[in-house]
Amino acid sequence: MKIDSFNRRNFLAAGSLLSAAALIPNRAGAAVAGPTAIAQSATPPAVPQVAAPPGRLTFHGIDTYHGATIGTLRVDISMLEGGSYRLVKSFNTAMNGRSDGALFEGATFKPGRYEMVMHVGDYYEALGTKLPTPTFISRVPLRFGVADARERYHIAVLFGPWSYSYYRGS
Amino acid sequence: MAGITTHVLNTVTGQPGSGMRIDFSVLDGDTWHLVKSVRTNSDGRTDEMILKPEETRVGQYELLFHVDEYFARQGVALPDPPFIEKVPVRFAVFDPKQHYHVPMLATSWSCATYRGS
Repeated sequence: MKIDSFNRRNFLAAGSLLSAAALIPNRAGAAVAGPTAIAQSATPPAVPQVAAPPGRLTFHGIDTYHGATIGTLRVDISMLEGGSYRLVKSFNTAMNGRSDGALFEGATFKPGRYEMVMHVGDYYEALGTKLPTPTFISRVPLRFGVADARERYHIAVLFGPWSYSYYRGS
Repeated sequence: MAGITTHVLNTVTGQPGSGMRIDFSVLDGDTWHLVKSVRTNSDGRTDEMILKPEETRVGQYELLFHVDEYFARQGVALPDPPFIEKVPVRFAVFDPKQHYHVPMLATSWSCATYRGS
């Protein structure tokens, strides 16, 4: 709805410029350009061309122990259905711990309750990091709710062998 | 001191997270078994240790923090469902002679945990 009202304001602003332009005599005496052409030239370049940004889910996990996600992190995504979490997708992080593009977007991105399980134990084991057995954290559940799937949800995670935090990023 | 303890902090207000419900479970085979439910006191801690040293074994444990209920009671407007709702923190005790302090730092849009002391 924010976008709609922005468009409306933008349209009204363009409309008032149009009215002003119509009062200015055309110096070259050429035919006055149609409303569409004037609207385009009257739009300041700084005004973004607003299109509804598609809702999507993305992920970025940063290994704060090594200072960069130097290995591959496996993440299992589940959704809560009828009281239990059901696996909907597994992925391995690509460059720097990010998901390779959107995990879900547009019509495939549904509101609801999500859980991403990060395989942090396997990640550090593959890198040969010396840790006790069993490791303090191994499979880290990140639960979050998606209230409006038309919005962007970026799950940002900072993790190490002894801690993690996550938040809604952008 | 060994055993398991926790501490909840509301990092929006900088105050202890008092009155937050925490469910403590232990992994038995493939199943999580609820051991007890507790509520944090005015300092955001629990009156008794989550698990006493003599009861602590090597194994997998879970603290489920009811963060959404806490912020709802604080009068914070939350979406439905909330982004941060009930937060499970799963961790292992690898040496029962050591102390495992597992705090929760929470807002309604983020949370953090770590092995403290």
